[in-house]
Amino acid sequence: MIEAGRIALIIALPVAVFSVLSSVIGARAAYGRLYKSARYGVIIVFGLYTLALALLLYAFFTHDFSVRIVAEHASRDLPPLYTLSALYADKAGSMFLWGWLISLFSALLVLRTQEENRRVISYAIAILAVIEAFYIALVTFLADIFARQPSPAVDGFGLNPLLQNFGMIIHPPLLYLGFAGFAVVFALVIAAVITRRSEMWRDSLIRRWSLVAWGTLGVGNLVGMWWSYNELGWGGYWAWDPVENAGLMPWLLGTAFLHSMTMGRQRHYLKAWSLSLIVFTFVFTLFSPFITHGGIESPLHGFYGSPFPPFILAAIIVVIAGSYVLLYLRRRDLKDEERPPSLLSREGSFLLTNIILVVLVFVIFAGTVLPRVVEVLGGGKIALDRGFFDRTCGPIMLLLVLLMGVCPLLGWGKMAWNSARRNIIFFFLAVVVVSAAILISGVGNWYIAVVVLCGLPLFVVFREWCRGTMARHRSKRENFVRGFLSLIGGNRARYGGFLAHIGIVLIALGIIVSSFYGIEKAATLDIGESMSAGKYKLTYNELVFKQDNVKVSAVASMTVSENGKAAGTMRPSYAYWFNYNDFFAEVAVRTTTAEDLFVSLVWTGFDPADRSATFRLLVNPLIVWIWVGGAFFIIGGALSFSFEEKRLSGGKE
Amino acid sequence: MVMEKKYLIGGAIVLIAVIYLLYLSFGSSVSYYVTVSEFYDRITELDNANIRVAGIITDNSIEWDAEELELKFTLTEGGINMPVIYNGAQPAGFKAGSNLLVEGKYGSDSVFQATQLILKCPSKYESIDIE
Repeated sequence: MIEAGRIALIIALPVAVFSVLSSVIGARAAYGRLYKSARYGVIIVFGLYTLALALLLYAFFTHDFSVRIVAEHASRDLPPLYTLSALYADKAGSMFLWGWLISLFSALLVLRTQEENRRVISYAIAILAVIEAFYIALVTFLADIFARQPSPAVDGFGLNPLLQNFGMIIHPPLLYLGFAGFAVVFALVIAAVITRRSEMWRDSLIRRWSLVAWGTLGVGNLVGMWWSYNELGWGGYWAWDPVENAGLMPWLLGTAFLHSMTMGRQRHYLKAWSLSLIVFTFVFTLFSPFITHGGIESPLHGFYGSPFPPFILAAIIVVIAGSYVLLYLRRRDLKDEERPPSLLSREGSFLLTNIILVVLVFVIFAGTVLPRVVEVLGGGKIALDRGFFDRTCGPIMLLLVLLMGVCPLLGWGKMAWNSARRNIIFFFLAVVVVSAAILISGVGNWYIAVVVLCGLPLFVVFREWCRGTMARHRSKRENFVRGFLSLIGGNRARYGGFLAHIGIVLIALGIIVSSFYGIEKAATLDIGESMSAGKYKLTYNELVFKQDNVKVSAVASMTVSENGKAAGTMRPSYAYWFNYNDFFAEVAVRTTTAEDLFVSLVWTGFDPADRSATFRLLVNPLIVWIWVGGAFFIIGGALSFSFEEKRLSGGKE
Repeated sequence: MVMEKKYLIGGAIVLIAVIYLLYLSFGSSVSYYVTVSEFYDRITELDNANIRVAGIITDNSIEWDAEELELKFTLTEGGINMPVIYNGAQPAGFKAGSNLLVEGKYGSDSVFQATQLILKCPSKYESIDIE
């Protein structure tokens, strides 16, 4: 059975190559039939790839442990959903899934477009087919995804317990969706440049693909944070580890690209800059597996012994070189028709946002690769602690939050100093003065000023909504709810953006406050003893031992009291997993809108006679707002996505 | 051309500010990353510096004082052992034979005072994170 999967994938490779050639030739008007067959080629590649995926999943779900990937990551007692995620717990499996998503997106692109923009689409198909061929070659020739075990196993090794979490089922696919989405955007933009149709950039086709990629990647990163927080037991969600940075950098660049495009919808500038942004967004989606597959050593986690990094690096070099050769060849078309904006305008603030985002990525990139660069240059092995990132990225991110507050106050074009705006500028100055006063007087710590600053964008968006709703109420006699909804519906791209901004501010608030106001306690307790942190007191009541096929666990039961009032029971546990010969903790989290109470059982002797156990207790304020911010993000992205600019799309050639 | 000059100057200021920020943070955040045997080779140089040392947790060396939350063990590499003290609970996966990174300082009492323990996953668990 599994051999058929390999054959399907191997056949898909020449079909992809055929699609590349026929779509490049078919882009010319005289070769319409070749264009058609290129489109069929893309769909056939998708069909073959899907067949291979289905056969592989069949091997997983029928527990065919003669197949290497199944034996290494699945086992008979693994629940079905985790059996699915075992596929991408493998280094070749993760690339395989990613490649499949690119083939899916390519097929979608083909099916959703017909004759319109034919030349652009045909080049985009060609670029995507090249990428597909690259991925197929990686997972068939470099690392054979369908490889057999030397001798079939009776049972598989099973999935790492840390990966047996809901977050880990959706986190990798979401990232790959985002990465694959940006591959499509990259292909479309490059195709538009090749065919000298730079007005295509403003087309809703590119805008929508960008939004999908950006949204899924952003949520994917957040789910990764959620997993880290709920599963790893250290109580944090971000450690500036290279593999985390790997997912963040393309998202930040994608954010910059989205903003430069939004600006491009209104004005015609910074074409070369926007092109560079999407090129590097795509490059960083490739840099991500370069890091996670061991190209840069991560002290915490990653794939070991992966054969991919040199090939990914080669692909990155090809993409950068190719894109800039193209940029040089098309330099006349990419010349801006208008002058760059004044900084004191909405364009200016978009531009500034762009620059800051790029600087941020540069800093994260520097921090991620410098240790490796120093080592390669013979400077010995060095390491950067997370303080480096906190000190450099923290201020830069705050600057971004500040800009989110200022941007909506500025108009397109040169700014007019009318009275309404002046009011807002005064408000803004007041925020700065209040913050500065807090800082200088030493009344509070600097992070109070930061919280005040975060309030600005929220205030501005809220004010904008209120004014818009009021205006509708007055002029159209709509009631407030209706007025508000039609206001949002009237300019979905803009208000979707606002919602995403609110999400970002909530996330920023959650991060800042939880970092500086968290409480951490650790203690070893006997049954009946208690420990407290802040207003919470936890009493350790009992420890129950449970055993099943894969592990023996100790489940503690602790009653919680908040300000002396009973507030439920929490059950952190600690388990020994036989296959892994190792201990893993399962944390208990009690979430309220104000703060999280986080308990992990970090040690116990598994001794029925002595049930003493060590607990780590954390009080993390406002954590839940990080996840709520994520929800705003999704809603904002979806709202913006639902907006279609009719006047620019279409146009037969 | 006035406009472009303005942007050039602005860009230069941003660049200088960023590099200065990087430089400032880099100095205080960087630590040497050595193995146990490399550390003892360079002990005079690295004594009292904030460093990361990589090694394997020695068999039968772990002493865990649950009451005091104090973890003592030795880290070995290249045939050399280094005693380590860490105040805090042991991280998941902490056991003899595991690859470990300890971050902290080597004290005058010839014991490494660790402020952070980072477990490196043995290749068997290659799938610890799957981004």
